[in-house]
Amino acid sequence: MTVPLLRVDGLGGAFRRRDGGLTPVLHDVSFALQPGCITAVVGETGSGKSLTALTILGLQPSAFVRRSGRILFAGQDLLALPPSAMRAVRGRRISMVFQDARAALNPVFSVGAQLADVHRLQHGGSARAAWDAAVEALRRVRIPEAERRARQYPHEFSGGMAQRAMIAMAALVCTPALLILDEPTTGLDVTIQSDIMELIVELCRDRGLTACLITHDLGVVAESCEEVVVMNAGRVVETGTTEAIFTRPQQPYTRRLLAASRLDAAAA
Amino acid sequence: MKRSAADATLDPAALPAAPPARRRRAPASWSLRIGAGLLLFYAGVALLSLVWTPYDPLAPGMGDGYLPPSREFLLGTDRLGADILSRLMAGARYDLGITLVAVAIALSIGSALGTIAGYFGGVVDTVISRLVEVFQAFPGLLFAMLIVQAVGPGVPNIILVLSFIGIPDYLRLARAEIRSRRAWPYAEAARMVGNTPWLVAFRHLLPNSAGPLLAFTSINAAFVALVTASLGFLGLGLDPNTPEWGSMIARGQDGVMTGEWWVSFFPGLAILGLTGAFYLLGDALSDLTDPRRRR
Repeated sequence: MTVPLLRVDGLGGAFRRRDGGLTPVLHDVSFALQPGCITAVVGETGSGKSLTALTILGLQPSAFVRRSGRILFAGQDLLALPPSAMRAVRGRRISMVFQDARAALNPVFSVGAQLADVHRLQHGGSARAAWDAAVEALRRVRIPEAERRARQYPHEFSGGMAQRAMIAMAALVCTPALLILDEPTTGLDVTIQSDIMELIVELCRDRGLTACLITHDLGVVAESCEEVVVMNAGRVVETGTTEAIFTRPQQPYTRRLLAASRLDAAAA
Repeated sequence: MKRSAADATLDPAALPAAPPARRRRAPASWSLRIGAGLLLFYAGVALLSLVWTPYDPLAPGMGDGYLPPSREFLLGTDRLGADILSRLMAGARYDLGITLVAVAIALSIGSALGTIAGYFGGVVDTVISRLVEVFQAFPGLLFAMLIVQAVGPGVPNIILVLSFIGIPDYLRLARAEIRSRRAWPYAEAARMVGNTPWLVAFRHLLPNSAGPLLAFTSINAAFVALVTASLGFLGLGLDPNTPEWGSMIARGQDGVMTGEWWVSFFPGLAILGLTGAFYLLGDALSDLTDPRRRR
């Protein structure tokens, strides 16, 4: 087994309640992301998937108190980095695609301007060059008429188009080694979902990106991911290759999850 | 792998019916036209008064006292025989100038402090917010009168006082706006790409609050114009001979009872026009700053 790009090691923590008490939410979460692989983190809502992802980026909610663990990225413990060093990691080394892309784009700036802004933040250069890079990135994620679309505002984008723009921002304008995708296809039409997933897989292959796909859609996992981490109630239940998890699930929870999604598929 | 043509058909917004790329133009609503037109008119008059007025606005005895509007004195003369039109024109410099500068200062300082308090929260927020509450305990005009008495007369002092009493309102508005937005996904996205907290607060969140802030600014500008005139009316802060509209109304008070209405009427009309212009403009501006409301 190769050296993982990112290793979450014994991460545990709790939410601080209003009355000052702690509600434990993560228990000894450990998993590794192999370079160049797409790893799925699956589990039901509230299982701690998104919280773990946000913690990797240092963007966890302020009520979250980490009590144990390390997050090793390329040999460095991200949790030990000072804020300025962490900012240099965000976007440049690790970036993230959010669930609701239309809400993750700033409503008062045109989509192109936002991408150009990120480009200048990370790569410097002239405003003109940044704009061209933004349009090029939009074209690369197959947004038709990228030139015109770049001048439009987020509310003029459909959910699928907005997610493409978000992917362009996170994976192309940012040039990360690790891309985290937090339920990137939730809330999109089924046909658009598969287009978006194809795009994600293609970009990861092209750029040798390591990706961490947070989802509860096992169909997507089966098609696109090499490795699977199953989470439930703040714990890692099972990890393994996609094939192993789907054909030889070891844990009862994993089996239930698989059974439930098959029922879903049959009903749909 | 799908072709991009197949992609396009999936998205209704990308169908060929889309009009050719064209730069969006701001619509000119009536409130915008009238408000901006009036303000430009006032600004033009203020500038013109620097180089030309029919008579010397500061000199008494241009004609007899209390001359009614006529060919010679278009808006009449006051008790001291000074030309009212000339004084009105010169007064635009004071009322418009003081209002604009005071509002600009209050808007910048207030929204900057409010953004900091709202985004960073914690101790900074507590200190700033409590301080503001102390100042807000006083009614604005009363507070202005007290400080003007304390710091002494003069245009710069009046501007400082007026901007000072405006700051709390801007601060509270900006704070509430930023607080409500700092956990939104686009704030998270801005942090995700490596922006510093200052950039997230001022470049990504504050522009989203431009509409509410500008709308409030306009209402506040109307209020500040009224307070300026009120201070003048009460004889506070400026030399009594200053052709400020409020003090002109005060000078015409006696005349109103005896039929010389024009001495107070025209300055009053000027104030009404100025406050009205601010209200109209603000209404239009709050629409223009929101891309979703542009058509």
